[in-house]
Amino acid sequence: MFSIRNEVECYVSCINDSSLLPLIGISLLLALLMFVIYFRTDRPMSRLLSLAGSQLLIISAIATVVHAMQCSRMLSIEIYLGYVAFSTAIILFLPRVYYRILIKRYDARPISEIMDWPEGFVNYLGTTATIYYYDSAIPRAFASGKAIFLSLGLLELVEKTELEAIIAHEIWHIRHNNSTPILRQLAVMSFSKNKSEDELEKLADMFAEKIVNKSALESARAKIS
Amino acid sequence: MVKLDRINLSNDGLTKFFSPIEARIMQVLWENEELTTPEITEKTDIPLSSVAGTLDRLVKAGFATRKLDKGGNKVRYLYSATESMDNTANTITRKVLDSLVDTFGKVAIENFHTYHDRK
Repeated sequence: MFSIRNEVECYVSCINDSSLLPLIGISLLLALLMFVIYFRTDRPMSRLLSLAGSQLLIISAIATVVHAMQCSRMLSIEIYLGYVAFSTAIILFLPRVYYRILIKRYDARPISEIMDWPEGFVNYLGTTATIYYYDSAIPRAFASGKAIFLSLGLLELVEKTELEAIIAHEIWHIRHNNSTPILRQLAVMSFSKNKSEDELEKLADMFAEKIVNKSALESARAKIS
Repeated sequence: MVKLDRINLSNDGLTKFFSPIEARIMQVLWENEELTTPEITEKTDIPLSSVAGTLDRLVKAGFATRKLDKGGNKVRYLYSATESMDNTANTITRKVLDSLVDTFGKVAIENFHTYHDRK
């Protein structure tokens, strides 16, 4: 009968006997190092490489463990499957809840507290999205999940039609987030830029032009950059 | 960078303690009661792209204060200096003296006495 305690005991003795413990330790240490690089670096390429590297190292550590397991491979396989399930869930799930982390980080508040019309404008476009504002003088607008974030610096800088153009632009991003291909999602997850980002920005701009007008979009762009 | 732990003794005036942009903004804030962002860019003659981030830093460091002014459908920030120039000078002086005593102990205090007697 399967007993977790026996499995763990067998696990420990197998790894101790096989003299592969240093190898496993080194792999895990390197993986940890890669994770640290991933969180510290700013260069997109090193982010992607360090993330991929850390994943491969963890998988190789697990493979070594499986190799060391002579008596039973059950637990290793279960641990591996658990790891795979966990990372997959994070990759698929995180982009959908990431906006909540952003709300906390920026201490964002719903825009309806200070302005009436933006939420109505979103409804008029037929999209369910919440607009938040946050305390910063730097003019910025971005979208994540079903949330649009606008800095107060942006709100005091632009006129109503310009803000409409900006919101329309972000709404386009929100509408097309759900159909994000898995590869792009991975690129977003690892915070590395992918080449078609410019193309997405252009499409979002075209939508904003159609909804509001070209001059509002252009003057908003001129003010922000 | 509004960090008193990065004092640059070779700089002139306030730029010993602030970056040049920070110093100009603080100067303008001390000279006026309340200012909007466009007023600050106009009076300092520094573009918004440089002013905005600096204002965020000054507010975070506690040297400047801002409140939100909601009028109709328009919002704007109103900036003011948190403390008068004299009080800020007081705070900076005390921090510098504290760190000198902390590092050099008696020697620093003896020097203050010599300095005081000479004056």
